[in-house]
Amino acid sequence: MTALNQVLLHPRQRVGADFAAWRDGGGGEGLRMALSKTPEELIAMIRDAGLRGLGGSGFPTYRKWEFLAARRDVSEKYLIVNGNEDEPGTFKDRILLAETPHQVIEGAAICAVACDIDHIVFYINPDQEQALASMRAAVAQWRSSDLYTALVEHLRRPLELRVMPSSGHYIGGEETAAIESVEGKFPFPRHKPPYPAESGVHGLPTLVNNTETLANVSHIIRNGVAWFQGLGQGAATGTKIYCLSGDVLRPGAYELPMGTPLQELVFDHGGGMLVGLKLKAIFTGGPSNTILTPKDLDVPLDFESVAQRRSALGTGAMIVVSEGTGIVKRVTEYVNFFADNSCGQCPPCKTGTYYISRLLSRIDTGNGSRSDLDTLVSLCQLLPGAGRCHLLDGAVKVVDSSLYHFGGEYEKAIQPRNGR
Amino acid sequence: MPQCIPYSEALAAYAPCEFRQPAADQVSTDELLRDFHPDHIAGSMSPLRIGPNAGDTCHTELVRLLQSDARIDEADLAGAETLETDVLVIGGGGAGCAAALTAAKRGARVMLTTKLRLGDSNTVMAEGGIQASVEKGDTPQMHFEDTTKGGHHHVDRPLAAQMVMDGPKVIRWLIQQGMQFDVDKYGDLLTRRAGGTSAPRVVHFRDYTGLEMMRVLREAVANSNIEVLDYSPTVELLSNEDDHCAGAVISSLKNCSYMLVKAKAVILATGGIGRMHLNGFPTSNHFGATGDGLVLAYRLGAKLRDLDSFQYHPSGLAFPQHLAGTLITEGVRSAGAYLLNAHGERFVDELQPRDHVAAAIIRECRQGRGIRVSDDSVGVWLDTPGLELRTPGILETRFPKLLQLGRKAQVDLKLKPILIYPTLHYQNGGVVIDVHGRSTVPGLYCIGEVTGGIHGRNRLMGNSLLEIISFGRRAGRHAAEYAHDRAHTRGSIEHVSDLRRTLTLAGLSMAHEGPLLFPTYAKFESDSDYDGLHRSKRE
Repeated sequence: MTALNQVLLHPRQRVGADFAAWRDGGGGEGLRMALSKTPEELIAMIRDAGLRGLGGSGFPTYRKWEFLAARRDVSEKYLIVNGNEDEPGTFKDRILLAETPHQVIEGAAICAVACDIDHIVFYINPDQEQALASMRAAVAQWRSSDLYTALVEHLRRPLELRVMPSSGHYIGGEETAAIESVEGKFPFPRHKPPYPAESGVHGLPTLVNNTETLANVSHIIRNGVAWFQGLGQGAATGTKIYCLSGDVLRPGAYELPMGTPLQELVFDHGGGMLVGLKLKAIFTGGPSNTILTPKDLDVPLDFESVAQRRSALGTGAMIVVSEGTGIVKRVTEYVNFFADNSCGQCPPCKTGTYYISRLLSRIDTGNGSRSDLDTLVSLCQLLPGAGRCHLLDGAVKVVDSSLYHFGGEYEKAIQPRNGR
Repeated sequence: MPQCIPYSEALAAYAPCEFRQPAADQVSTDELLRDFHPDHIAGSMSPLRIGPNAGDTCHTELVRLLQSDARIDEADLAGAETLETDVLVIGGGGAGCAAALTAAKRGARVMLTTKLRLGDSNTVMAEGGIQASVEKGDTPQMHFEDTTKGGHHHVDRPLAAQMVMDGPKVIRWLIQQGMQFDVDKYGDLLTRRAGGTSAPRVVHFRDYTGLEMMRVLREAVANSNIEVLDYSPTVELLSNEDDHCAGAVISSLKNCSYMLVKAKAVILATGGIGRMHLNGFPTSNHFGATGDGLVLAYRLGAKLRDLDSFQYHPSGLAFPQHLAGTLITEGVRSAGAYLLNAHGERFVDELQPRDHVAAAIIRECRQGRGIRVSDDSVGVWLDTPGLELRTPGILETRFPKLLQLGRKAQVDLKLKPILIYPTLHYQNGGVVIDVHGRSTVPGLYCIGEVTGGIHGRNRLMGNSLLEIISFGRRAGRHAAEYAHDRAHTRGSIEHVSDLRRTLTLAGLSMAHEGPLLFPTYAKFESDSDYDGLHRSKRE
């Protein structure tokens, strides 16, 4: 099925690091128009367009921008373009960075105009070699372009564009951890508050935005708010890149209107289930989120609608699992991922993720008891919020959600079997 | 097939002969092959539609196997036991044992799995001998030239060069392992000449060289720290996130359960496809030769080559029916036995390459000069009495296994000739490898008959025993080093989901499952409902 209304993944944008081809396709127009507007006008457009943080939080983008723009008392400001993407099932940012690097840079440049930024850091997962190479080539082209000259003249001071490989740790994608990384340290998440907008890189106000969020910016400025609002379905605005994986016929990244029903994503775009398999559950937003079940197939995939089903849209990753997949086993794998990737700073997270993972393994292999399951349930109530960042919350959320939807499987796993 | 001469009539007209001139060939080898070789039977080929070789044509049954659905899915692996090793060798024939021994010598932890028992393989069927340029008048260069010419110049030259250079070293290694060879009174190796070669080069032990080779290899494995899992066919390979090979799924026939073996390097030595009986031919192959390695490697993305080329050994037993296809060594022909048609004519030079001789036999039978026993059994004479007449005593001393076969068929080979007809013998093509036995999939090594390129489109006698040891040892050595530098990665059967996606998108049927594991006519006494045992749960 051909996708209509593609914006970020439109063939005009997917030209790689070819600056001339990108300009021929209308690239750079958004920045030109932004240079003739005031920061207030730009932020108002982002607000009215309803652009939200597409890295998983869904936080309104304009509010971060507004806060940063208001800080006129400081000498320098940072923008970190977060491309650390490392969560299983999510693979959208790497496509944007590798295939549409100029679109991302343009969005970041407009943000620099709106928020008066001095340093833009493209913070990219080093495992995504193609994304890194493509961004490096693209930034080199920008530095010698007329767009950059116009931008610097407008700002009346130099603007740093830096491509930086992240440490490659999963936790490095957390915004305060990214700040630590940019400062050259190990990506340990920091306490919030103070929020990055108050005190980020080297104590300076810092804006951390997801790659996909920034990629949308130039299109909003160029085509207007009404156009962007019209892209979404229902109350939602704009488009979203959904990462579909698992037991479907055609897994892949699909840019669809925000608010597209799950049903349409899985069965129309994804081609439906693999032959002979029946849909059992969908892990949304990657493993750090929650589970949807077949009865939720009608849910429009936008932040509010998914939240109403005790779940979250997250990064837009949809991992489809079929009957025959053990939910306990799958959840165990995900929790193991968190246990492996906990930075170890906060004891509740360090020991909690490990302990949950052990309990789950015991239950999954048929060695669990009633008290193991009770412990698991009570940990799910105790642990959330006990860490500095949301890693622990993510681990608990997926367990909690699986207990809610598939409690029966846990019960079955602790039943004594023949011969024991 | 036109009416051939009935058996009794032909036998009455037969007389052992001192010497007979072979008939001059009126047609070229190319024309003979095109008209009569089974690889060229019209309508037997189809194109492959999926995988790295999409677009190539090969035998329809092989296409069906390579495009088959997997036998297992994720749910089958729930609760499966997981084992770990550095190097996993799949296949318990000569190549697998040589690789396992070499890898273990290099300090790797080695596990060897085999479908049936260690040594249940085609290696033990090899009768004629092993080629190596050990004679004074012979050189590896001449061996190389014979190999490329015999392979109709479709040979992967670096691989063949590697093999012939290894020849003398392989013989020395085998002698060190304790293998016996026929020697003269001074203890020097005796050699004989293979069809299509320019010098006598085949060293041998009686007419069961392969059996003797397997005897010492099996003992060496038993006396090593290699862990052997028998009755454990491999049903799928494991792949990791980077699509490298990361182990295998084994079906344990003893425990009726699946096992996961995580390995840093996997060596496939699963042999050929004889038991698929392409074109309805009988086969000289072992019961387990069902092409499992081809389909396993292909699913993981390994490139294959020359899949449309098979070797039909000229001298398979044609009668009695229950022994049809049993191999009679080429050694008999290289020792001077003639092939005669029903009129007692020597219709071909017996020391031409195998494909040429096989095509000539089929020509005789199709044109009515063969000998007919029943509707299913036709053939030509293998003139053993004539050989005995010219070289008295040779059958007793050098071909005891052949005489035994004669007794089983109730024919005294010293007095009566025996009927032969080509038998499906060897898969010339297979997985593309480099000089270390590496396939195009990192972490996956392939050796022996499952590979292609070394023999081009036709193999010479004695080159397969050389190949399995030469490349077995090379792959074992390289795999041990490869494993040494690496940690285990997470292996899964994710590639099976990809396969199912590809099959569905290509509109192909998923009614067939592979690998076959056992021939279609296999019968199991066990009434277990264990899927891993049954040939296919969907049939």
